[in-house]
Amino acid sequence: MSSSSKNTPVCRFKVGDRVRIKDQSWLFYSRVQLYARGVEGTIARLNYTDLVAEDETFNVEGEIEQHYIVQFRQQDLWPEYAFPNDTLQSEYPDRWLEPLNNSQA
Amino acid sequence: MTTATGGHDHGHIHPPAPQVEEISDYSVLEIALRELAIEHGLFTAEEHLHFTEWAEKIGPASGSRLVAKAWLDPEFKKLCLTDANAASKAVGVDWLDPTGAGTPSDYTHFVVLEDTPTLHHVIVCTLCSCYPRPMLGNSPYWYRSTNYRRRLVRWPRPVLSEFGLIVPPEVEVRVEDSNQKCRFMVMPMRPEGTDGWTEDQLAEIVTRDCMIGVASPKPGRTADKHPIHKARHPVGHEPKPMGVAE
Repeated sequence: MSSSSKNTPVCRFKVGDRVRIKDQSWLFYSRVQLYARGVEGTIARLNYTDLVAEDETFNVEGEIEQHYIVQFRQQDLWPEYAFPNDTLQSEYPDRWLEPLNNSQA
Repeated sequence: MTTATGGHDHGHIHPPAPQVEEISDYSVLEIALRELAIEHGLFTAEEHLHFTEWAEKIGPASGSRLVAKAWLDPEFKKLCLTDANAASKAVGVDWLDPTGAGTPSDYTHFVVLEDTPTLHHVIVCTLCSCYPRPMLGNSPYWYRSTNYRRRLVRWPRPVLSEFGLIVPPEVEVRVEDSNQKCRFMVMPMRPEGTDGWTEDQLAEIVTRDCMIGVASPKPGRTADKHPIHKARHPVGHEPKPMGVAE
């Protein structure tokens, strides 16, 4: 999917950076799960640059952003989770991520 | 209780239940949108029929072939893991074909997840039903159910065990929740007992469920059959209330 936006994509993170998913407001539509909001994880992969879903869904000419796969420890998502090594991965655009101490941003 | 004909000796006959399934809101929405698109000339009814017939008949065979090839050819495996869209072309799937807009997948960033002796992947879409349709065809009904979607992210091991897959505790279970524009498929490990097998033989045991991650390939397992548990209290066999005469 392409867009007419021509900005230089926002890309603040690299693989291995620690991030927190922002718990911010949105209007009607978001693809950031409630269960991931406020949770800390690690950048596992840089995927592609594209419009964020929140803009795309309303056909808004927003900014092109880097999308990342973030890896969470299951125990960080669900405190009662019994297996310490299990993980969950999901995808987020740059604006939904907040850097933790080891990232420059 | 009642018999198949609806007669049960109290002076009248019950009419049979209507054989109409309830139509969902989404079906209504789809019909409305489709008719509007046809009316506005985005595509014709014939094009829609042609495309639907084509999309409906895609099965998981290309995915099975991709995995079998990768098991036999380390170079191809590397390509699957680094550029899955390019690797797809080797098994006849061009994610941008035929419309140029990526359909029948809504998005075209394809990623293959490699299982290892210490890592087991399983895919889900908690928000809706994102699925690598060009590779695996339409998703099974349970993949789209809220039951699977909401439970897999939180209790993956119990859900996997319901499919008959017990993952040892020392193996990491990694759930991939495809919530944006990537589409994922699992590349399971080649099982023991398949030495010397041809690509065709290997492809046979890589079933759809293995590529979702709710099953592991095994020699002899060539279909996704789920156990059917008989109802303990089937309809029509309710125990009689206490005190009712035989």
